[in-house]
Amino acid sequence: MSGLETYCAEITDKLNCGILLLDVDLKLVMWNQFLEVHANKKLAEIAGQSIFSIFPELPQRWFERKITSVVQLGTPSFCSWEQRHHLFELPHTRPITTGSEFMAQNCTFSPIKRNNKIEHICILIEDVTDVCYYQSMLKKTMNDLALSNRIDGLTQIFNRKHWEDCLAQEFAKARRHDHKISLIMFDLDHFKLLNDKYGHQGGDRVLIDIAENVTSMLRLGDIFGRYGGEEFAIILPETDIKGASELADRLQKSINQADIIFQKNCIKTSVSIGVAELDKAESHYESLISKADIALYKAKSSGRNQFCVYE
Amino acid sequence: MPFSLDEDQLDCLQELINVAMGQASDQLARYLDTFVFLKVPNIELVKAEEFSKSLTGDNQSTAVVSQGFFGYEGIRGEALLVYQHKDSDHIADLLGYDPDELSDEEQLIDISSILTTTFLNVFARQIDNQLSYNAPKLLTSEQDSMSEYLDHLSFSWDIALKVNITYQVTDYSFNCDMILLIPESAIIDIKTVINRILEAL
Repeated sequence: MSGLETYCAEITDKLNCGILLLDVDLKLVMWNQFLEVHANKKLAEIAGQSIFSIFPELPQRWFERKITSVVQLGTPSFCSWEQRHHLFELPHTRPITTGSEFMAQNCTFSPIKRNNKIEHICILIEDVTDVCYYQSMLKKTMNDLALSNRIDGLTQIFNRKHWEDCLAQEFAKARRHDHKISLIMFDLDHFKLLNDKYGHQGGDRVLIDIAENVTSMLRLGDIFGRYGGEEFAIILPETDIKGASELADRLQKSINQADIIFQKNCIKTSVSIGVAELDKAESHYESLISKADIALYKAKSSGRNQFCVYE
Repeated sequence: MPFSLDEDQLDCLQELINVAMGQASDQLARYLDTFVFLKVPNIELVKAEEFSKSLTGDNQSTAVVSQGFFGYEGIRGEALLVYQHKDSDHIADLLGYDPDELSDEEQLIDISSILTTTFLNVFARQIDNQLSYNAPKLLTSEQDSMSEYLDHLSFSWDIALKVNITYQVTDYSFNCDMILLIPESAIIDIKTVINRILEAL
């Protein structure tokens, strides 16, 4: 070996990534120190062996097809941790501070020519366990954030903004398919008095319990949200005024009968409910809200603890 | 305009691309074992502010894979492979894999890389160059998200050379667009190469 070639060999051995050379029959020709150490096998003992006997975890058929593309097309091929976490089951440098068992890898398959003919395939294996770890954390945080953007922190049901987005969507869907859609809006009766009597924590307990109670009575496609302070709203897709009224009736009775326990007190409460169905002529979803609101106002002015239908 | 190509330069580039397309189509057909048709390319200069529109157009692309390339003499750019939803059903078959051997994402990335590197390798040979590639990356894979993705970008270039080639594999009713984008500084370098070829004629 010339001086420069010795240098190259030394540098490849110092690299913090794996270099592996296969012949076209997929037998190991050489690898660098990184792989010798991580695979914990001596090159002298395994050179000439099939890659599949050295790394039995490799998906053989897939791997062979991958190599075929490299040899036949003379182009490089890639395999990223984002699609396959790893190809080779190798240990990595953060076994303690990440949850990953094997090294996450980016692999590059390159054709190596000699005398204008592809005789070898070089596989470059980069350790990307760090990247993979931080990317998964970022993804989880983004998901949590997206969720908290939609959820009301106290009651854990949808917040006003997301609920209204849903209504706009359901409205458009109902229009497109000529389906029915109804809306229920309800308000806790004399909520201010509850707050004055039991404190805000007592009021919060009532809101949480009612949200839970109502959630348990809904169908899968119904969309329940907190509209304002003590005001709630439910979108009922593919439901006419009759179905919506039946649900309103059950909700009103169930909430009226429920005992809400707060600091050894048994709090009784009730709701006033307004129900409305989408009119065929309506072109804005907002008018559905104002109709349910008018019905709700009627229920309140008729003495509360009841439901009214918009007519 | 320093970046625009005159008629001779454009003809020369078109010819280089045509030859590369022919050879690439032949290689792909042999590897994929089916006929691969490449439509006549569309070459134009695009401004950064018009780029989003020129890319998304009327079609709602559902997946875009990007792969960068670079070679000697300053030749470099980015290849975007653009797929419509209906066209990505049979890629595993086309590639010769069992569908359960690899995910949909991996199929898209694999076919993209094969189409891009096969074409560009032949193209590079035409201009006595050699190209390297980075790993292909899936930019978006959800409906409507391409324009959203582009809206979030602030471009570091004003103008780019855009070459659009449509691939068709009729046996698998597969279509996609390969869009090569060469940023302005590299356009000058491409023109140098083209001028050299023209002088040698």
